[in-house]
Amino acid sequence: MTAALAIATREYRSLFRSPAGWISIALFLLLTGTVFSLITFQPGSPASLQAFFALSGWLLLPVAPAISMKLMSDEYRVGTIEMLLTSPVSDVSVIAGKFAAALGFVITMLAPTLLYIIVLIVSADPAPDPGPIVAGYLCLILLSCLFLSVGTLASALTPSQTLAFLATLFFLLGLLVVSSTLASANLPPPLDSAIAWLSLTRRIRDFATGVIDLSHIVFFLSWSLWFLVLATAALTMRRWR
Amino acid sequence: MIHVQSLRKSFGRVLAVSDVSFSLPKGIVAGLLGPNGAGKTTTIRMITGFLTPDQGTVTIADQNMNADAINARKNIGYLPESAPIYPEMTPREYLAHRARLFGIPRNKRNSAIDHALERCWLNEMQSRPIGHLSKGYRQRVGLASAIVHNPPVIVLDEPTNGLDPSQILETRKLMHELGQTHTLLISSHILSEIQLTCQRIIIIARGKVRADAPTDELTQAQSASPSCTVEILPTSTTPDPAAILRAIPGVKKITRFSSTDASYTTDTWHKLKVDVDPDHSNTGDLRESIARAAFKSGLLIRELHAENVSLERMFLELIEAEDSPQEIQ
Repeated sequence: MTAALAIATREYRSLFRSPAGWISIALFLLLTGTVFSLITFQPGSPASLQAFFALSGWLLLPVAPAISMKLMSDEYRVGTIEMLLTSPVSDVSVIAGKFAAALGFVITMLAPTLLYIIVLIVSADPAPDPGPIVAGYLCLILLSCLFLSVGTLASALTPSQTLAFLATLFFLLGLLVVSSTLASANLPPPLDSAIAWLSLTRRIRDFATGVIDLSHIVFFLSWSLWFLVLATAALTMRRWR
Repeated sequence: MIHVQSLRKSFGRVLAVSDVSFSLPKGIVAGLLGPNGAGKTTTIRMITGFLTPDQGTVTIADQNMNADAINARKNIGYLPESAPIYPEMTPREYLAHRARLFGIPRNKRNSAIDHALERCWLNEMQSRPIGHLSKGYRQRVGLASAIVHNPPVIVLDEPTNGLDPSQILETRKLMHELGQTHTLLISSHILSEIQLTCQRIIIIARGKVRADAPTDELTQAQSASPSCTVEILPTSTTPDPAAILRAIPGVKKITRFSSTDASYTTDTWHKLKVDVDPDHSNTGDLRESIARAAFKSGLLIRELHAENVSLERMFLELIEAEDSPQEIQ
């Protein structure tokens, strides 16, 4: 546990020293800030963060892989993996620490956006409904878990950051596109419920309306866990080669 | 302290290490010597737990690497060949990170880091990013991180590789100091390096241990039957000096250095190698007998020296002998 924490702390700090980290934060805040001031923060528009959440969800698609791409790949490329894997640390702790650092980074990136809520509360006359806002943030964090865990797996498989980034991005895009196109097609009964279950967009829509469904939370967390287990296996396999 | 039993590791079809066993007691500096590609790094990576062996066991301070890897790894300080370190960290930050990974309690961390920085002469460099440091300094940071948790076993893979002469001297001094209190395993392909720092030498070639003995013993074994080189000028009365030398008791064989007999005329210097017969009672130094024999026959000598059969030669013989590169059938 101490070791996983040590790995997480080091990785979190190093994300702030990498250009990819800063560029991700800067672009994310720039784009969400623009949308907030041009669409949400206008006289007459409803006091909700719908537009912000919709945009953030899409922005996570490139941002999450950009953060996760270096987690393991950089260790392989620089060779520091040899120091890490000969320390008294289990492979599970390594992956857990790395993932926690990336998730912490995304949460840090989301933190300044709480300012939008304050602005809304102060300025809007019918105060914003807290339900969709809480659900929206929860949804962003759950999405980040899923995206980052896929990214951790990709990064654990290759020493190339570019490859890890592209593999993650295309996997996530594929997942979204396939599940939403298949959901709109009329499939026979056993298949359509399976697709509906897999569909990310359906679950995101629920969150957007302010519904916090436990089954959605379990869905995101269990898939994230599964990808992290695979990432740990990929790391352990390197000892065998 | 380090116990290695029939290690074997292959990568695809290439057998990198086929059978390596040795055992090192506490408080010894041992050298793992072999040419590039002999399997040194693979062996070291299995000892430190970076690679899992196909076969065999590694035991570090009574902890089995297969059964309890985490506790076994706790007892090792390791410096890999290229000294890989996170370039964006400073030496102090990096050592603090390593100290945390090795579970050094918070209240002892600072003194452990200070001690490691001081031992590796890093005090002035402790707050510069490692990426800006020279290769020599990075190597020292690697060394410091290998000793920061004060492990009983220290494993250094090619520790002087890429250092300048004064840094090599400093590193050698540090290894000597560490050898007083720790068990050290040092790998190198440079024989003189190992000969100077290690009390014991393990020679490894083509994935197998070819020799394993104390340094003194290996050196002595080699000087037991030295040969002599002599450069001698024939005279008209003695056109073949080799015949005179052959008559000396204890001489086994005379060989000419030149491959053609044509170059050995009566008015040129003959360069000859005199081999000692190890079974004869008159073994050892033959230089005196050679000088006397030449003097008696009125022959001139312009060079006479005992061949120092160095460890180097034996090393070359050992690693060149026997089987060709191996592949799994």
